[in-house]
Amino acid sequence: MAELTTTKLDPDNHLLLDQPLLRLPNELLRKNLKTAQRHIEQTNKNVTKDVQAAVGQQPDQALASLEATLAKAQNLKRKLEQLHAEEQSLQRQQRLRIEHLQQLHEIPSLADVKYDTWSHTRLDRLLVDYLLRQGYTQSARELAAEKNINDLVDVDVFEDCGRIEKSLLDGRTQECLSWCSENKQALKKINSNLELELRLQQFIELARSGDVKNQVDAIVHARKHLAGGQDTEFGLRAGGLLAHPPDTLVEPYRMMYSPERYIHLARQFVKTHHELFSLPSQPLLHIALSAGLSALKTPSCHSEYALQANANTGAPVCPICSTELNELARNVPYAHHTKSYMEDDPVVLPNGRVFGRERLKRLNEKLGTDPGKIKDPTDMETEWDERELKKVYIS
Amino acid sequence: MDNIFAAHKQQETKGNLSKTIDSVQSLIDLLQTTRDHVAADPSMSALHLAKLQTPVKQSFTKLEEDLKEVNKGMNAYQKALKDKFKTASLPTSTNEVLNEKEDLVNRAIAMHLLREGKFNVARTFVKEVSAKAPPVSEDSEETIDVDMETGQPLNNTRSWIEDLADADDVMIDGMEAVADGELERSGLQKKFTDMYHILDSLRNQHNLEPAIEWARQHSFELENRGSNLEFELARLKFVELYTTEDIMADDPFAGPLRALEYARETFPAFNNRYARETSSLLGSLAFSPELGTSPYKPFFHNSSSFEEASASFTREFCGMLGLSSQSPLYTAVTAGGIALPILEKVERVMAQARGQWTSVNELPVETPLPPGFAFHSIFVCPVSKEQATDANPPMMLPCGHVIARESLDMHSKGKSRMKCPYCPNESHPREAKRVYI
Repeated sequence: MAELTTTKLDPDNHLLLDQPLLRLPNELLRKNLKTAQRHIEQTNKNVTKDVQAAVGQQPDQALASLEATLAKAQNLKRKLEQLHAEEQSLQRQQRLRIEHLQQLHEIPSLADVKYDTWSHTRLDRLLVDYLLRQGYTQSARELAAEKNINDLVDVDVFEDCGRIEKSLLDGRTQECLSWCSENKQALKKINSNLELELRLQQFIELARSGDVKNQVDAIVHARKHLAGGQDTEFGLRAGGLLAHPPDTLVEPYRMMYSPERYIHLARQFVKTHHELFSLPSQPLLHIALSAGLSALKTPSCHSEYALQANANTGAPVCPICSTELNELARNVPYAHHTKSYMEDDPVVLPNGRVFGRERLKRLNEKLGTDPGKIKDPTDMETEWDERELKKVYIS
Repeated sequence: MDNIFAAHKQQETKGNLSKTIDSVQSLIDLLQTTRDHVAADPSMSALHLAKLQTPVKQSFTKLEEDLKEVNKGMNAYQKALKDKFKTASLPTSTNEVLNEKEDLVNRAIAMHLLREGKFNVARTFVKEVSAKAPPVSEDSEETIDVDMETGQPLNNTRSWIEDLADADDVMIDGMEAVADGELERSGLQKKFTDMYHILDSLRNQHNLEPAIEWARQHSFELENRGSNLEFELARLKFVELYTTEDIMADDPFAGPLRALEYARETFPAFNNRYARETSSLLGSLAFSPELGTSPYKPFFHNSSSFEEASASFTREFCGMLGLSSQSPLYTAVTAGGIALPILEKVERVMAQARGQWTSVNELPVETPLPPGFAFHSIFVCPVSKEQATDANPPMMLPCGHVIARESLDMHSKGKSRMKCPYCPNESHPREAKRVYI
């Protein structure tokens, strides 16, 4: 049978929530490298072509094209230097993150005060993650700055994501399309049809306006972008759409004309974005919090009768009973227990309340009950003779 | 973890673009030399250009190799990550509950930020939430339904934001607003405003007065709770008076004298409980002004004392309000971090076995937490092994043994007298008594 309580800290399991912390910089580095690769390929093509062409040219022409080539090479160097700087900052961030997780490995147990500190930092990280995902960017920035955890959170990535998401919600596809072309290879790898959806949206906008010139443009657009062969469905839907006016009631064309399609696109973009960067689809705070609410919750937390630990008993207030979380925890399952958990030597008062004998005595001393008498510290209404206390057996 | 470190180190030293940049530089040098040759001797340009072909091609091959090296480093790192984090997925089953309650999550966060004393962040947060607040949610119909049925959810949204926004005004307008607003505000809202104000003075401005005033008003309750907050604050005040330089007075002992006066007024009240501490504080007067080298140094040169007093104040204040002293959000998230690996494993095993957990009210496994995380007594019926609930409460038999009501009903079915399952005692089922655990 499992232990009732534990202070054992297994760092490998414990880091379940913290994978994105290390994965994201790696994805960003990879993207950085891909950009470098693209620049080099492009310059390679241009330079090789130039140099070959220059062979047959007149000396002064050749000189001019050599100089142009030189400029291209220098341009490449500048770009690579920028990428290198970015790379260094990412690698530095990566190191700090690894060190942060390493700290956990050096903590001997959950009861250690260092674990408390570590867990506080983790909460701050999760909060910033949540704030960013919900679009409270300014709060996220301030919190990260105040807690000095800028290197452990990804404000820029989320801000970028939020910007593109908003542009979609505002009905613009351009930002998102350029994001798609930046990440073309990666998107292909995960079989994303985000770009097709965006192209289809452009097509819909052209078809919507209704005049003939735009309709022709729409067809050209569809031939260029939707007939690529990845998914014939898109071409078919586009063709069908042309047959229907924007106020059609025929599905699926009514839905396609609907402005709500942008909401759908924005959602799909965010999903694709997170997938690409190995970010979980839900805020980490939700995952941790719901697990925590359940692990802490007992049937007493929302019970009408249960003993509320009020000021008179001096017991620490349960976080689930506390105002902040009580409503939130109402619908989560409570923790599973197979053993009773009681104070030592429980006794029952005539009103049915059960206390540990020692604590009941101590509380009554504090309340100034007369010797030999006893009160229920939670309501202090009735006073009984001490002999009315009854031992209760709870196994 | 060591593998990750190693892979990262490798990446930092080798797997970066610096080598690539060097290669580009040598390409530039190559082009530059050729250009210079061509410029110097145009008649030979065709020869120079012909000679350029192969080296340019080689340069680019070299560049690609450099990149491959970077890529290799990255793959090695990714592999190290993969070895470290074997399970990539996170448990999902229970999170949906929270997705629908964004507002409550936001409220919990706002309260958490206040507790942490991050007033500025809290203010920004409240502002950002209320800017976004009239939530044009996609399923707005549903939201309205809820609102009409209960009149609750939407109102709640507004009220906590207003609460905290009010607290905000108080921050800005200072004491007067507190006095003016006193009548309108009530309940938690008002109390949070107070706490906000007192904490701000204490932590940020190192002004002890509001906290001391509060502690004096609640002196009796504090003592009942066994708290020494009032004395801690008085001690801080003593130290403050002692060490503040008075510009007006040229007497070097002005500080200590004022401290002494304060001690005469205030300390007698503490004599019962803190006789030792007060006399030790007064003893420090003998060492003035060489406190830095005296045994009293820790009292006087303690930079964290205001932080500690703030924490202690928060604990007492929240305790009296029936709020837990640690931020519940912190406790819950920490507990979540501890329980999560177990839940993840359960979900994985369940998925493999295609099993389903039927009870939605209770987690399928035990999730052991450190001792500090148990806040309630728990009664598990020894017969049915189920936890007692309001619907199935614990019942005490006349012999003192406790079982759950359902077990009692099953056990006594059709009998007028029943034997206790744990001792020879016999009783009538009606004699069993509901107990509150």
